[in-house]
Amino acid sequence: MRECLSIHIGQAGVQIGGACWELYCLEHGIQPDGVVLDGGQDLLAPAKTEPTRASFDSFFCETRAGKYVPRALFMDLEPTVVDGVRAGSYRSLFHSEQLVSGKEDAANNYARGRYSVGPEILDLVLERIRKLAEHCSGLQGFLIFRSFGGGTGSGFTSLLLEQLSVEYSGKTKLDFSVYPAPRISTAVVEPYNSILTTHPTIEHVDCTFLVDNEAIYNICHGKLDLERPSYASINRLISQAASSITASLRFEGILNVDLIEFQTNLVPYPRIHFPVTSFAPILSADSTHHKEPSVSDITAACFEPSHQLVRCDPRLGKYVACCLLYRGDVVPKEVNAAIAATKLRNSIQFVDWCPTGFKVGINDRPPREVPGGDLAEVQRAVCMLSNSTAVAEAWARLGHKFDLMFAKRAFLHWYIREGMEEGEFAEAREDLAVLEKDYEEMGRSL
Amino acid sequence: MVFDIRSHILDSGYVIMNSTSTSDVIGRRVEVNGEHATVRFSGLVPPVAGLWLGVEWDNPERGKHDGSHEGTVYFKCRHPTAGSFIRPHKVNFGVDFLTAIKNRYVLEDEPKEEETEQIVIIGNKPVETIGFDSVIKQQSQLSKLQDVSLRNCAVNGAGDKGEIAKACPNIRSIDLSKNLLSSWEEVIDIADQLKHLEVLNLSENKLTSPSSSPSPTGTFPTLKVLVLNRTGVTWAEVLRCASGWPVLEKLYLESNNIIISERPTDVLQTVKLLDLSSNQLIDENQLFLIAYLPRLEQLILSDIGISSIHFPDAGIGCKTSMFPSLQYLVLNDNQIAQWSFMNELDKLQSLHALSCTRNPLTEGSKDAQTTRQFIIARIGQLRTLNKCAIEPEERRGAELDYRKAFGNEWKKAGGHQDPEKNRPNEEFLAAHPRYQALCLKYGAPEDGELKTQQPFLLKNQLLTLKIKYPNQHDQKVIEKQLPDSMTVQKVKGLLSRLLKVPVSELLLSYESPKMPGKEVELENDLQPLRFYSVENGDCLLVRW
Repeated sequence: MRECLSIHIGQAGVQIGGACWELYCLEHGIQPDGVVLDGGQDLLAPAKTEPTRASFDSFFCETRAGKYVPRALFMDLEPTVVDGVRAGSYRSLFHSEQLVSGKEDAANNYARGRYSVGPEILDLVLERIRKLAEHCSGLQGFLIFRSFGGGTGSGFTSLLLEQLSVEYSGKTKLDFSVYPAPRISTAVVEPYNSILTTHPTIEHVDCTFLVDNEAIYNICHGKLDLERPSYASINRLISQAASSITASLRFEGILNVDLIEFQTNLVPYPRIHFPVTSFAPILSADSTHHKEPSVSDITAACFEPSHQLVRCDPRLGKYVACCLLYRGDVVPKEVNAAIAATKLRNSIQFVDWCPTGFKVGINDRPPREVPGGDLAEVQRAVCMLSNSTAVAEAWARLGHKFDLMFAKRAFLHWYIREGMEEGEFAEAREDLAVLEKDYEEMGRSL
Repeated sequence: MVFDIRSHILDSGYVIMNSTSTSDVIGRRVEVNGEHATVRFSGLVPPVAGLWLGVEWDNPERGKHDGSHEGTVYFKCRHPTAGSFIRPHKVNFGVDFLTAIKNRYVLEDEPKEEETEQIVIIGNKPVETIGFDSVIKQQSQLSKLQDVSLRNCAVNGAGDKGEIAKACPNIRSIDLSKNLLSSWEEVIDIADQLKHLEVLNLSENKLTSPSSSPSPTGTFPTLKVLVLNRTGVTWAEVLRCASGWPVLEKLYLESNNIIISERPTDVLQTVKLLDLSSNQLIDENQLFLIAYLPRLEQLILSDIGISSIHFPDAGIGCKTSMFPSLQYLVLNDNQIAQWSFMNELDKLQSLHALSCTRNPLTEGSKDAQTTRQFIIARIGQLRTLNKCAIEPEERRGAELDYRKAFGNEWKKAGGHQDPEKNRPNEEFLAAHPRYQALCLKYGAPEDGELKTQQPFLLKNQLLTLKIKYPNQHDQKVIEKQLPDSMTVQKVKGLLSRLLKVPVSELLLSYESPKMPGKEVELENDLQPLRFYSVENGDCLLVRW
């Protein structure tokens, strides 16, 4: 019951997916070949807390052989990245049908991902998703991992999401998107791709968790002593956030939050569904046990912009809703005290009209870290999801870059050549302008 | 006088001394308003009436004096302002282990009538909490608790014998940091009852060592991780207790002012990770005493003030038998300023990851990229540096650059491309132990590679060339300076004016002392001299 399918699209999606499933396996005690580590658990069988097996079900499918296979699909329009998974240390975890790759990539071009190269592989992908869905007794929804800036992540995803809405109407879709970093850019046309993909997908997605590479670079550099953060480090950090967000789906017991509850808490209007993610504590593995942050320490840290996974300043905006997801050794008394202290310390402004303020949940499973990773293993962690009007700042930045290029019609021919029209650009930009206005409207007092 | 502590828990969890004191109270760890201290004295302090406790604060500046008052010495402190006299009722002696657990995880004594949860209000909005009662219920199943944190919960001991084993025997990991435990005996009392204990954190407790008797050290048969940061424990104490940790894998001893005084012979043999950060009294000679721990894979030596190391049992280019299993070494925040340090690290057999940021060698104006490359080149088996994996291309680039950078020095020291003549002196080999190996791998550096880039001035672009006329024996050989960007056509023009021969009849070629016997024709008029690799000292041959 309540299964979730994860779909990883494009290089970013696939690589983040690798990091996420590695972490989930560690948390559930599943080895790289899909078999559960049973050894130590027999010792404590009578005294164990509720069996964790039942909770695997939402993310892992148990085969008749007793192996656990992730309910996931990895796809990309070119083979290199997916081959990395096929040959990597977790290759025996996935069924070969879950790893889909094309031959020709989208070359950072939304139009190729959506109109020319993407449609050729769409049917195959949909069929594989159907197969995965058949193994679910009560599919709850989808988790999509992708980047805004790439061709596959932007173009193919918009195509896929439209189809999923038709075929699986009523199922929730959550989106983990890598937003183009403000100052570190891998492709000049990222603003185009980002805005072009946001326009069609905004109606088909229920909630989008944005992460941007620059914020994470800064975290890795500043807090984790990594002089040159690699994608591996960045993805591991993102996977920790994803793990916190999905923890309540994967572990039974204390907090039975399903995907719908996320939406209800955080999303006041269908289009205003871009919460800012923060994560704490972020400590270097070399300093394990040098500091043991308390509940109040990590709660306070969440409100610092340096712990956010997207660059923007919520202190300049207003909060619509805020979700604090604690995990590990956390006691309700301490949480209440920490939140009361936050109220005194931070000037948190809420919009007048929204009734919900903070929503707080606890999952008692401790946070885990991949051995050899950069983060220290700690006893407790918190992930904060806040829907704040400050996110409009991120959109405005993107819109500005888009405008600069579009005014000169720069790079447009790459898209037109694949069958797009200028009108689509204008329409997408218009939609974004409306979104920015919506945020502004929201923040205004009654 | 009988001492009677009744576990009288008030709403703040404080325990008050109910009766007059005895010497039992000396040495006890206490807490006053968040500050921890050790009781050093109990009694009367004339002329003021009433009982006083003399305490030595952990924080040396918290107190008012050093234990003496108006000339009389009541107790001794290590710092002149670490001592205070305090009334007994102001001091918290702490609670026992089980009480602390119940305080934290279960609201046992709370009246049951309040079904509603306490609502905190922020910004006019109530904070909604989800499932807090279920959390409370869950955590209240003490017997099911596996991972427990009692940090800063004023735990002073095990309480009644056997109670812990009855109530929560399945605890596997416990954080008892920053509590009021005052001796190893108290720790053993607690841990003896936890048969599955794997992780124990005792940081920031000041534990007095067991007296010289060898027995009361207790055995922790399943303990894998032990954290003793900031406890003031000494190396000797660690070794004495270590016989009780037969399967210990990770030992954290940060900030203890440790001096490694002896070699661990039968103990600590299973330890894989040892954290000795911020122990400023450790020097390189002490490190030799832990060099033979057979399973030690990770050694954290951040911030110990180390600046040099030398493995005496291994010569240049050889491997040391010390630290045989060491794979990951952390040396951040030290005083390493010499490249010889890195050369020594190459002697470690199994080292493949190193973290070495914030040292004089790596900071400062030096180009960070070059420093990284040189470290990679000097330590051949390194696979990860500063948590960044070293790809094969990076290693190749680093080694080639290193070989080129020191090529001139190598030649000056006696190095030579010809293996027969290659005899660099001892000094060079000591400073660059891997150089010869790199030459074998990539070949000796060519002279051309070693030419330093001349600044881009016109005079540096000029080639001094001899001009010979092979068919005219009477013409003298002349020398001319020509820019290498000069085209062959223009050279012919110049020669034409010089020799009074028409341009079209001139045939140019050149020979070089580097290629004796070979003549290269300069046939394309439009190409510059550098196209034909004409170099300084070559000789132009003109025929017509």
